[in-house]
Amino acid sequence: MGSYITVLPVVFPFIASFLILAKPFENKTKMRWITISIVVINTILSLISIYAVPETYTNVFTFSEKLKIAFKVDGLSTVFGTMVSILWPITTLYAFEYMSHEKDEQRFFTFFVMSFGITMGVAFSANMLTMYLFYEFLTLATLPLVMHEMDAKAFHAGKMYIIFMMGGAAMAFIGLVIIISYSDGTDFLMGGILNLREIKNNLDVIRLVYIITFFGFGVKAAVFPLFFWLPTAAVAPTPVTALLHAVAVVKSGVFAIIRLTYFSFGAYILRDSWAQYTIMAIAMITILIGSGMAIKTSHIKRRLAYSTVSNLSYIIFGISLMSQGGLASGLLHMVYHAVLKITLFFCTGAILVQTHREYVKEIEGIGTKMPIIFGCFTICGMGLVGVPPFAGFHSKWNIAVSAVQINNLLAYAGIFVLIVSALLTALYIFTIVIAAFFPKSEALRGRDDTMVKDPGILMKSTIIVLTVVSVIIGFFPTPLLYVFDVIASSI
Amino acid sequence: MENNFILLFLVLFPMAGGVVSYIIGRFNKSARNYAADVVVLAEFAAVLLVFGQSSVFHLNSFCGLGINFESGGIRGVFTVAASFVWLMATFFSAEYFKNYRNRNRYYFFMLVTLGSTMGVFLSSDFFTALIFFEIMSFTSFVLVIHDESPKAQKAAMTYIAVAIIGGMATLAGMFFMYHSAGTLNFSELGKIISADNGKTPYYIYGVLIFTGFGAKAGAFPLHIWLPEAHPAAPAPASAILSCVLTKTGIFGVMALSCQVFMHDARWGMFILSIGTITMFLGAFLAVFSVDLKRTLACSSLSQIGFIMVAIGMSGLLGEENSLAAAGAILHVVNHSVIKLTLFLCAGVVYMNTHKLNLNDIKGWGRDKPLLKFVFLQGLLGIAGIPLWGGYISKTLIHESIVEYIAHGGTHGGLTIFNAVEWIFLISGGLTLAYMTKIFAALFVEKEKSPKKENHSLKNDCYMNKVSSAVLIICALLISVFGIAPHATLDKIAGVSYGFLGSVPPDHSVHYFSLVNLKGAFISVVIGAVVYFVFIKKFLMSKEAGNTVYKDVWPVWLNIENSIYRPVVLKILPTIGYAVAGTLSKALDFTLPSIIDAALTVASFLYSLFENLLLYGLIALVKVIRFMCDVYSYGVQLVLYFLFNYDDISYDGERDFREDAYFSRYSEDKHGEITGFRENLTISLIMFGIGVVCGLVYLII
Repeated sequence: MGSYITVLPVVFPFIASFLILAKPFENKTKMRWITISIVVINTILSLISIYAVPETYTNVFTFSEKLKIAFKVDGLSTVFGTMVSILWPITTLYAFEYMSHEKDEQRFFTFFVMSFGITMGVAFSANMLTMYLFYEFLTLATLPLVMHEMDAKAFHAGKMYIIFMMGGAAMAFIGLVIIISYSDGTDFLMGGILNLREIKNNLDVIRLVYIITFFGFGVKAAVFPLFFWLPTAAVAPTPVTALLHAVAVVKSGVFAIIRLTYFSFGAYILRDSWAQYTIMAIAMITILIGSGMAIKTSHIKRRLAYSTVSNLSYIIFGISLMSQGGLASGLLHMVYHAVLKITLFFCTGAILVQTHREYVKEIEGIGTKMPIIFGCFTICGMGLVGVPPFAGFHSKWNIAVSAVQINNLLAYAGIFVLIVSALLTALYIFTIVIAAFFPKSEALRGRDDTMVKDPGILMKSTIIVLTVVSVIIGFFPTPLLYVFDVIASSI
Repeated sequence: MENNFILLFLVLFPMAGGVVSYIIGRFNKSARNYAADVVVLAEFAAVLLVFGQSSVFHLNSFCGLGINFESGGIRGVFTVAASFVWLMATFFSAEYFKNYRNRNRYYFFMLVTLGSTMGVFLSSDFFTALIFFEIMSFTSFVLVIHDESPKAQKAAMTYIAVAIIGGMATLAGMFFMYHSAGTLNFSELGKIISADNGKTPYYIYGVLIFTGFGAKAGAFPLHIWLPEAHPAAPAPASAILSCVLTKTGIFGVMALSCQVFMHDARWGMFILSIGTITMFLGAFLAVFSVDLKRTLACSSLSQIGFIMVAIGMSGLLGEENSLAAAGAILHVVNHSVIKLTLFLCAGVVYMNTHKLNLNDIKGWGRDKPLLKFVFLQGLLGIAGIPLWGGYISKTLIHESIVEYIAHGGTHGGLTIFNAVEWIFLISGGLTLAYMTKIFAALFVEKEKSPKKENHSLKNDCYMNKVSSAVLIICALLISVFGIAPHATLDKIAGVSYGFLGSVPPDHSVHYFSLVNLKGAFISVVIGAVVYFVFIKKFLMSKEAGNTVYKDVWPVWLNIENSIYRPVVLKILPTIGYAVAGTLSKALDFTLPSIIDAALTVASFLYSLFENLLLYGLIALVKVIRFMCDVYSYGVQLVLYFLFNYDDISYDGERDFREDAYFSRYSEDKHGEITGFRENLTISLIMFGIGVVCGLVYLII
């Protein structure tokens, strides 16, 4: 029975979330207390099941010999699970202050808490079927969050979101069927689970299936040409954009791609094949398009969303190298980007709440009015650009090192892409920072900024804490990198 | 060796001091000024403490590769010079910024810049250097833009653009260097590279690394930011930028030339040629300038060129490079002190008149003997007149070129080096000419026009005692260096030989021998000729008995405005647009026909077999066709957005401009959601269903 603790963090929020929805609360404080306690309890539960319980296998339900719903915590789950379960309570605190400016808080927090459990389900799933299941649940649970505003814009975004996701699921389903049909056991195993004897000489077919499945999961990871939903979904309230569309949902996509590549198909089938080159090229194209579109976009939230598109493909580029270093540095960038981007989105949300301004030219000169918000924005922005010694530099450096190591023309092109993209990133981040701190005088004319100030304590403190965390993990990446190297070692 | 925590202290203390002085400044302005003074004084004392003392500091896991500091030798010279400049500039700042806004910000970023500059000078590998180099670039950006005037903003944007592009190039070079050599430590790299036969890739990486450092130093062709940014910054910040920040670039170039590519003639030739161009170009631009601080900035450019010529010569001379090496480091020291003096003088002028154009400030200093004396020291120093500091280092550099010619220069032929020698002497002459021009304007010419206000204030209230003391100390230092070179400058050179890859010379140089004086004499004659024949005749004119300085430099002859900005902002986007257009047209034309052919074949097969799999196939082909559409669209997007982020409107359905909400969502059509590509999703679902059916069919 002890092993069922792994199931708890998945199921608990799912059930507990109905507490929030159950009755209309008279005052918000009570609902907030319930929400935060559910989230904190679940964080503790998931941290216990990650660190206190040794690797246990929990079979929940068996359809047939090969079709099981099962959970297991391995190294990769540890990384993703820890990241998510630490960021969730922080975002909840931020959301309390943010959502007090919006309506329908109850519905919001219900689905917000529910998504927590489902994301943990993705992290802890032991086989493809379970992961696929929770992966689809995640789409459904986050849809009400995306459409929260319930106006034409939000409906449009929601429609786009669901159609893209379902299209992706259809493609991923092909991979699911193939993996289940052609593998010995279906549980994830580093190095791949496909049965080579059954495949015989049909490796290229398998690779084609891999590519199709890659695009299927790639919808959530926002690879070219399936990333359009992400900037559109920036219409959602900021906590959703920050946590789900910079961390949980999009990184489940990346997580699924890692599971698919290293734990299901196996790097040895894909290495040095056209399948590898395809996803490398796709990652590079996405990096450039994401950065380019980010510069073009003057709506700050959507600019950051495009930046997410580009940064997710840094991780995918790392993964596509099919080497230990590539996977480890991809994971490092996953963690760095999670912390940095969530902070950047929080800052944007704070600006939105305090000033109702969304475009770059509107925020000219308010940097000195909101020093803490823009100070943190600058530090995290530098990290995103990859200015040493901030977080973000080291992961990009490691991705480049791994790319050189595999000694392939496309990988060298990838380094060039990284450099170009770093320049573009500098352009789209620093234009915001410079506009905020050093306004052009004509932009300030006829505008009253006297009321603009830093937000309340919850927003400020979460932003500061995350910035400090990003600086610390940027300064001392060695422990993290060590953990990731161990995870990637048995490739 | 044990970790010496003073080195870490040198870097972190000013940064912490910046934070503290910022907090103090929120409450009390004058206490903040004193706090900043105390911080720089303590920094100066700490730097003196480790001067000449050889110690190291490692922090291994920091930011992955670890940071490594080293002290002693040339680093002592650089750090002492830097903290001296900072000390003087900070003391001067109190008066200069009296009526400025945002002084807290200025002091904070100035102190953080000090810490990061120390980090660059103390670093013993490229990674450490780059970390602090980047921090320094960003914090000094705030110093440049401090005025927030449109001019300052444009200059600061150019500065940050050059810094980021340069930094990125350095990072790329460093990365490949690390990959090939396995280390980034200066001296270890030198050993590995000299032992390696295939040097060509290392040269490429070296040039990449050089780009960032050279850009910061102001080397041609990335010098464009320097004549804009230095005048735009407030005077103490200009002094810091010009005296120290350019030297961080020089430090990087020295590390590359004297450690990594030690005694490498080809690399020396590369540095020499860039140095020669920069040296002449800076002097030439300065002659034409009619702005006091711009002249000084162009002069910095030229002096950086002199230093790089020396560094290049020390590479060419190989083992016997002690003259060139000493010339390089001594010119660094001299230029720091002299330019500090001159920029602070310009600061005095600006804080009283708020003008810098020579026509506006003409004759302002006629009745101010102290300022005149100090400025004259600077003039004589930088023009290389015997008995003043600049003469010593310029003589050493000149002698190193002469020595190379005398040894029958093995690299590139003698004509080149004769030419270099003459360019050197002419640049020296131009230095005297443009300095005389601004000196004459400020202190000699009379302002006769009655229309203009009379600048002259009472003699003693144009600057306070602290500022006067700062100016006098700097000015005296120049002449002390010049009068007693053996007691001062030779010692400084003595500690620097180790880093510069040379052995101390057997006997000290006779600076005031006839041979050495000859070079200075030639320069003076050239300078006098240029001033009296060219400047007086072509750049000045008499209007109603009043001398007017003409700005005859053609507006179009500006490498930034006529080449860089158009290329980056116009030509590249245009090419990108053309390529994207052609490519997408070609794709539009060819791909659909291929797809249609495939569709025809598929329908033929469909009629042949009539099973579910082919529904899938057709759907697949449709998806591929869609992908091709998206691909051509994507290629267009890439090229368009990479090269052209100005708004250019497209026609028809490929209109990417942002509307109020989303690019694919328009409220024009009565709130309808338009333009959404449902084809994709339907195709995807169709495709998914089709393929699954196909698989089921196959399996069953």
